[in-house]
Amino acid sequence: MMHSEMSRRRLLGLGVGLGAAATLTLAGCGGGDDKESTASGNGGKEYTGPKVDLNLWNGFTGGDGDIFKNLVEQFNTEHANIAVSVATYRWEDYYAKLPGAVSSGNGPDIAVMHMDQLATFAARGVITELDDVAKALELTDSDFAPTVWQGGLYRDKRYGIPLDMHPLGFYYNKAVMQSAGLDPNKPPLTKDEYTAALTELKKSGVQGFWVSPFQFTGGMTFYSLLHQWGGTLFDAEVAKATFNSDPAVEACTWLVDMIKQGHSPANVGQDADYLALKSGKNAFNWNGIWQINDLKKSADVQWGVAPLPQIGSRPAAWANSHNFTIVKQRSANANEVAGSKVFINWLSQHSLDWAAGGQVPARKAVREDAGFKALTEVGALAPELDYAAFPPAAPGIGEALLTFYQSFNEATLGKKSPKQALDDGAAKATKQLEDNRKKYGN
Amino acid sequence: MPMTSALRRTARYLVLLALALVFVTPLAWMVVTSLKDYPDAQRIPPSWLPDPVSGYGYEQILGNSANPVLRWFVNSMLAATLHALLVLVTAATAGYALARLRFRGRKVGFALIVATLFIPPTSLIIPNFLVVDSLGWIDTLTVVVVPGAASAFGVFFLRQFFLSLPRELEEAAVLDGANQWQIFIRVVLPLSKPALATLAVLSFLTNWNDFLWPIFVLFSPEQLTLPPGLGLLQGAYVTDYPVIMAGAVLASVPVLVLFVLAQRYVIQGVSRSGLKG
Amino acid sequence: MADVIEAGAARTDAPPPAARPYRAGGSGRFTPYLFLAPYLLVFGVFGLLPIVLGIWLSLHQWDFQLPNRPFVGLANYAELFSSDSAIYSDWWQAVRATAIFTVASVPLLVTVPLGLALLLNKAFPGRTFFRAVYFAPYVVGVAVIGVLWRFLLDANLGLVNRVAGVFGLPADTPWLTGMPWAWISLVGVTVWWTCGFNAVIYLAGLQDIPPELYEAATMDGAGTWDKFRNVTLPGLRPVLLFVVTTTVLASANMFGQSFLITQGAPGTETRTVVWYIVQEGLRDNDAGRAAAMSVVFALLLALVSVANFRLFRYRED
Repeated sequence: MMHSEMSRRRLLGLGVGLGAAATLTLAGCGGGDDKESTASGNGGKEYTGPKVDLNLWNGFTGGDGDIFKNLVEQFNTEHANIAVSVATYRWEDYYAKLPGAVSSGNGPDIAVMHMDQLATFAARGVITELDDVAKALELTDSDFAPTVWQGGLYRDKRYGIPLDMHPLGFYYNKAVMQSAGLDPNKPPLTKDEYTAALTELKKSGVQGFWVSPFQFTGGMTFYSLLHQWGGTLFDAEVAKATFNSDPAVEACTWLVDMIKQGHSPANVGQDADYLALKSGKNAFNWNGIWQINDLKKSADVQWGVAPLPQIGSRPAAWANSHNFTIVKQRSANANEVAGSKVFINWLSQHSLDWAAGGQVPARKAVREDAGFKALTEVGALAPELDYAAFPPAAPGIGEALLTFYQSFNEATLGKKSPKQALDDGAAKATKQLEDNRKKYGN
Repeated sequence: MPMTSALRRTARYLVLLALALVFVTPLAWMVVTSLKDYPDAQRIPPSWLPDPVSGYGYEQILGNSANPVLRWFVNSMLAATLHALLVLVTAATAGYALARLRFRGRKVGFALIVATLFIPPTSLIIPNFLVVDSLGWIDTLTVVVVPGAASAFGVFFLRQFFLSLPRELEEAAVLDGANQWQIFIRVVLPLSKPALATLAVLSFLTNWNDFLWPIFVLFSPEQLTLPPGLGLLQGAYVTDYPVIMAGAVLASVPVLVLFVLAQRYVIQGVSRSGLKG
Repeated sequence: MADVIEAGAARTDAPPPAARPYRAGGSGRFTPYLFLAPYLLVFGVFGLLPIVLGIWLSLHQWDFQLPNRPFVGLANYAELFSSDSAIYSDWWQAVRATAIFTVASVPLLVTVPLGLALLLNKAFPGRTFFRAVYFAPYVVGVAVIGVLWRFLLDANLGLVNRVAGVFGLPADTPWLTGMPWAWISLVGVTVWWTCGFNAVIYLAGLQDIPPELYEAATMDGAGTWDKFRNVTLPGLRPVLLFVVTTTVLASANMFGQSFLITQGAPGTETRTVVWYIVQEGLRDNDAGRAAAMSVVFALLLALVSVANFRLFRYRED
């Protein structure tokens, strides 16, 4: 079947003689081999074969990358027969670059990926199944938070071993709270406390909760609120967009009304909400856990971080997670796959150091380690793991998520009413999901 | 009379200076930001001058031996220079043929070349990827030098310039028995120095600042060119203004120097004597 | 189309008039092809071949990695024109955005650099310095330009509104998120950024106009305006055609500025065609669909450009 597929491609290639199309097909079919490859490995417990060189790709640019590289160096010194080298690209380039790299034989052996990308790359045959790793290492959802562990599945097969999770957190400027007569050590936890605090801030002349129209951070704030109101973005089969449900519209209206009520200026720009928080013009900002390390760099800012306040009927927070995946190769090498699994297992166990980089480790044992408890700020957001709202595992979901964020943008900028914006967006997203199901087969 | 000409000169300089202010102020902001430290660059309202003056941005770029910045710089320099040379050679010869020589298929050929300008270059990234992959050029310097030279821009540009050159000198050379190659090299190219220098600078710059294509076809850290390389020094979630701006300053200065040097040729072109009809 | 393009070269009044191309003595029949060979080689492999491949892709549901890449005929094209497809509204929104930007930016990008070039063409002390100053913004890559202006134009924190406030102007203009401000910002930044590009092309073109023509005009008592109309403009005609054509195409290809500065806001109103093509092809992994969009877009541009060439031909007839 593979052969007929190949020759058909050649024909369709208009005789360009490149052979490129044929090569690509080969790469796409290369996955069949990795059942055998586990023969020489044992799912990542140990590797005793000849020395292998492994390539790892991640998107940890800047300071995060240094922490990760140090971990890899430690691994390399502890494992004489496995040498891992790291290449880093910016996330936004990374996902666009990976398919071409893999199909041209320049891809990595191990790729770090966000949870919401796993299904897309699994459906496209870029990454390989890891069920045997989980089985051999006796990993179950009790070793991780169930929400994170489930996110590594696509069609009941495991493709990702979670490294960490990064939720949205609630950042507050203590100095601003104090000058408005609020207790800087008691951040608001409920809807009533939150609105009361905003009213006090307004009295002292501060717009206390800048609502950004962009994904970072307004869109993610809305994502969290929508779940707090009991809504979901998509239905259970990810066949239909549901982010125009009544709870979703209510959540969106509550957030957009912050502008109408004078708690946020209109037309907040990208990063402006966060810069305003740092400079004392804004009091509250719902932002990613990654800002903890950034705030530590600004000594003159007095700040605190807490789990998101519960505005709706239940707690919920936007979150995503970095996962390890193993990339299918043009020519599968069992030793490389075995070595990769050893590496993934080792790094997952050593993810405490990674937590210092500002992420909550996915592994429970690491979270319960005294070393992690010492990381006060990052640890403050660990409870969110229980109710974190991760994006669903569906191939091509990125497109529909983008539509979701664009609808929110229109509502926040007053181009449309929340209901209108979300109705239009959901209709479009449902069509996109339909397209994806056709494309990836479902 | 001298009074009015002095007045005119003053007026000209005033206009030039006012315009220069418009062009330079945002760039001055860029340089100022590159000299701030991290918290200072995020201060609201922003400070007009660095307080304190800090080498933070430059240090982040140049001070970390893990980042082969010098290597990226050399890669970019080599790629842009070779690219510009390749464009000059291919565009000058083709442009000359299309402007001055008579042959079958000239009009159709030119129309075809110009027609390719309409296709957004970004949309050819995937097809071009397939081509360079089958040539085995992925992750080499060649891949950022050659494919871009297929642009119709240079050919169209030089053809238009050759068309506007006066023909007397060429005709005189024909009478002296020169062949096409001699005319091209001895008469047309020297007359076209302004256009050639301009095309060289523009081609160099396009390649120097290219971002999307290198991201797709370069994989090893040491093979990267400057723009994707500098992108890696940024954290994923925070805009580190001093680092971005310091990178921009470091990347721009060599090109500005090159531009000033090229201007000599642009101005030289004016002195063309003995052309009176 | 060849005839139309040829017309751009016609100079009615600048002596000596351009004659038909000639075949000089001492060169063989194949000389023209030898001249063309180096370019045609590069062009064939990295210009034509990718285009053919692109057209082939546009007939498929194509993705680097998808195991199954079926032939879909013209389905990718039909989607663009069928109002119930998932991409119909986004696609035409992008076409609209691109059209607005092109119409608004091209007149400025053609005329302002011409003014600069004329200012800088005369010999005076400091000329090279000013040339470098006006060219300087273009030296900086779009990634940095984007970050720089996003910061400067921020509605609440940016320096532009701050300065406006000092002068008593409205200090809360939504430069990046409101209409028509977002377009004004994008056009303004683009003019600032790329003015120097067209200016140096004009400057090179001005060098080709024989000074004798100006001298003769002066002797005939022509004023500055007359010289501009009767000597400069006709002399620049081939260059002008080039500038207009490439500027239309450059504006139609705008992507980085709106991607970085307005991020498409409000909603997707400033998302351009090329951005959308990149998103579909490279981020959402639908190279076939992106290729179909590129083909339709190229045809639209060709239409505009033919009109443009005709305009240049007939204006002086």
